[in-house]
Amino acid sequence: MDGSVRLDEVVMRFGDFTAIEKTSLAIGSGEFFSFLGPSGCGKTTLLNIISGFITPSEGQVYIGDEPMAGVPVNRRPTAMIFQNLALFPLMTVFENIEFGLEVRGIDKRKRREVSERLLALVALEGSGPKMVTELSGGQKQRVAIARALAVEPRVLLLDEPLSALDLKLRQHMRTELKAIQRKTGITFIYITHDQGEALNMSDRVAVMSAGRIQQVAEPMTLYRQPATGFVAAFVGENNRLQVRVIDREGERVRLDGGALGELAGRAGSEAQLANGEEAVLFIRPEHLRPVAADASGVTLEAEIEAVHFEGAWVMLETRLVASGEKLRVQLGHEVSRGQADTLAVGRRLTFGYDPADAVVLPDDGCPEVDEETGEVVQSKLAGGAHV
Amino acid sequence: MFRQLQARFGGPLAMAIVTLLGIWLIVMVTLPQLQMIEYSLRPNLLPAQVGGPDDRLTLANYATLFNNDIHRTIFFKTIWSSVLVTLLTLAVSYPLAWYLAKVATPRQAALCILLLIIPFWINEILRTYSWFIILAFRGPLNEVLMMLGLIDRPIRFLSGNGGVMVGMVYAYILFMVFPVYNAIESLDDNQVRAARDLGAGTVRTHRRIVIPHAKPGIATGCIMTFMLAAGSYAVPALLGSPGSRWFTQIIYNWFFEGGNWNQGAAYAFLLLVLCIGFMSLIMKIFKVGLGDIGK
Amino acid sequence: MSSQRFLAFGLRFYVVVFFAYLFLPLIIMAAATFNDSRFPTVTPWDGTTLRWFGELAADRGMWQALTNSLIVAVGVLVVAVPIGIATALFLNTVSSRAKPFLYALILSPLLTPGVIIGISTLIFWRQFGVSGGIFLTVLGQATFIAAYVMLMVTARLQRFDRTMERAALDLGASQWQMFRRILLPYLKPALYSAAVIAFLQSFENYNTTLFVVGYDTTLTVYIASKVRTGLTPAVNALGLILILVTVMFAAIYELKRRREAASSVKGV
Repeated sequence: MDGSVRLDEVVMRFGDFTAIEKTSLAIGSGEFFSFLGPSGCGKTTLLNIISGFITPSEGQVYIGDEPMAGVPVNRRPTAMIFQNLALFPLMTVFENIEFGLEVRGIDKRKRREVSERLLALVALEGSGPKMVTELSGGQKQRVAIARALAVEPRVLLLDEPLSALDLKLRQHMRTELKAIQRKTGITFIYITHDQGEALNMSDRVAVMSAGRIQQVAEPMTLYRQPATGFVAAFVGENNRLQVRVIDREGERVRLDGGALGELAGRAGSEAQLANGEEAVLFIRPEHLRPVAADASGVTLEAEIEAVHFEGAWVMLETRLVASGEKLRVQLGHEVSRGQADTLAVGRRLTFGYDPADAVVLPDDGCPEVDEETGEVVQSKLAGGAHV
Repeated sequence: MFRQLQARFGGPLAMAIVTLLGIWLIVMVTLPQLQMIEYSLRPNLLPAQVGGPDDRLTLANYATLFNNDIHRTIFFKTIWSSVLVTLLTLAVSYPLAWYLAKVATPRQAALCILLLIIPFWINEILRTYSWFIILAFRGPLNEVLMMLGLIDRPIRFLSGNGGVMVGMVYAYILFMVFPVYNAIESLDDNQVRAARDLGAGTVRTHRRIVIPHAKPGIATGCIMTFMLAAGSYAVPALLGSPGSRWFTQIIYNWFFEGGNWNQGAAYAFLLLVLCIGFMSLIMKIFKVGLGDIGK
Repeated sequence: MSSQRFLAFGLRFYVVVFFAYLFLPLIIMAAATFNDSRFPTVTPWDGTTLRWFGELAADRGMWQALTNSLIVAVGVLVVAVPIGIATALFLNTVSSRAKPFLYALILSPLLTPGVIIGISTLIFWRQFGVSGGIFLTVLGQATFIAAYVMLMVTARLQRFDRTMERAALDLGASQWQMFRRILLPYLKPALYSAAVIAFLQSFENYNTTLFVVGYDTTLTVYIASKVRTGLTPAVNALGLILILVTVMFAAIYELKRRREAASSVKGV
């Protein structure tokens, strides 16, 4: 059972609007692959192209090396889990799960065997005769998964299926989904704007923005080596400082930080960065640490504006003394211990970082992203460290 | 359009949908109306004359209305009386709709609506017939009025326009109450409160806040009531007398007593034009579209 | 403030009077059934009797008219319900620049006086040699009753979550299977309501029927002709029975509707 999915130069246009720019991508059989991006980035369109709900304007989709052009939705070896689940409200749990088998003309006894087995897989034994309207949110989720698995898809497509659940259930379902994927060995293609979900569950993640795939990588690589400013801003939290390249020596880049003086960072993997070019330096809050005011190397002096105690760590909102830009600093337990009096509003501290942890990327005018909604907010080039 | 249907339902089902819709709109709705108009433009001929020199398009059937004093009078009386019925129905319905939408508690409103629906379900003929009994020369209304000493002799309610109009208001009132009620119901309570707060009296609150908001409902109610009144045959037939004939009765007579279908078709078309004209007028006055009326 | 209270009182009084106005005529008509008088009235009361029910039962014309009415109503259901469903599906699916025009055409039978629908149907079918009777009555009535069915089906269809359709297709259903197993069951409550309304509309229709009925008199036409010629309280007895049957229908319909409304609140 080959569940590999390949997109070959797929383009999707709606009238004048290009929803998907030319995209090629290969997803391995049995992989847990996520598309991550803010709403409107085109990820749902891609999912609909793979499932067959829409036909791409150009290009071709292959599933298990078979071209899918002309293959309608109901003949594709895919099954979708919808954002609102789309369970059939007038049917029982059994009838929902067995629907795909029923329409294939499989006899009742065989159907019941399959649905019993799947109910066991999703830990819902005995719920078969219930109406789906009687189930809780988490249970409905499981029924939706069982219903999709019943048709033995080679690829399971999941369209933000956890977004309707509350936080606790959501986290629990992540573990469960991952476990089901491992047990069944089916290719999962998962769509979300929630980076926690994507990073946590996926083997690989494609970060999308404005109809274009920005980077495809394993979650850890995305976090450590963002390929574009968008990825750096969207995945995890990052301070961004507007800089100019002085010169470059291998990966290490010397930077002119304007009022901040000379700074340094590591060049992004594919970044060109000519001397004198405008660039952005990304420093994650957890990579900043307080140092002595006269410490050598690159330092940043900032005044504390707010202190948020989060238990395992402390988040400081500070403002750079030299430039007035905001800088967020996250201090671990071992650093902040016994510093109660230094970590007070109005205090000035000097922070240092290891340039190998701070990525330099060309200034591509990357937008800021609202953490709550995943919406892209107005691009703000100068300052603005909060992502 | 067929593509969209086919994409959603598949070929056979899309075909069935288009076929059913086509039969209805073409064979049942459009062609009969066109045929009626065509009929109205031809003279009433003997079978032998059809296709002969006299068989040509003419407006003579329309001219009849303007040459016949009695028919013309009845035509305009029908218009005028229907307008009056519409206004009367609106006046009677508005306070009730207001009560249901904004004054009554939800339980009271639910009960009232149920009570309103029951007579609505009952046959128009029976509802009209019940007034026939009440308004009869020796009926209960005359008895009560005489008992109260308000009149000395029974009144012939059933020989004038009065009886017909009372019956029509009764028969069509729910076509007014429900749209007006639905429209007022969607008004935000706070708007009324705010108006009161700002010192507007009852009349001004209604004139400036409630009625403008309820416009689509009022328009729908007026259009429906007028159409039903002008096109009513049952009420004038049951509650009227030969002296208070309705235009629909003239049309009926052309068909089944005068045996002149062409003439009848012309009169029927005039009635249709009248209703469309009234509808357009109301939609223009109230600035509402067809979409609001379907609700 | 006191004027406000006076107005509020006035409004309540008005509501009571209104409902009296609504029900009193029906009650008087029903009461006249039991009056032992040749002419249907409640004044004077000439003694209580049930004999008008007996006379009604013996009236063969009434039975024939009732049979005709039932045949017509069933015919209207068969014609108008499929058309209404098809039209609702059409309007729900199609987006086109011609749609407003089509929508106006679809609504037009509701805004056309019933007599005109009857007349145009009568004229149109004359050229095919079809004259007034049960067949034309069915067609004439179905012409506007289909629009009522359409409105009711549309109201429910608009609340349909189309991802259900996508889900069904995605699970391998053909479009026909999707329609049979998902869409039609969803529409079922609206179809029942529409069938009840269509039946009643047909049963009580007078204006359209009058022109196309020919000699196949329906019950409503029969009642009207009785009122004008040969009026006895037997008509009231018939009216009373019809009212009771109608109220029963209405009660069942209302109960069903409310139960459905309550269950749709729960949702998925």
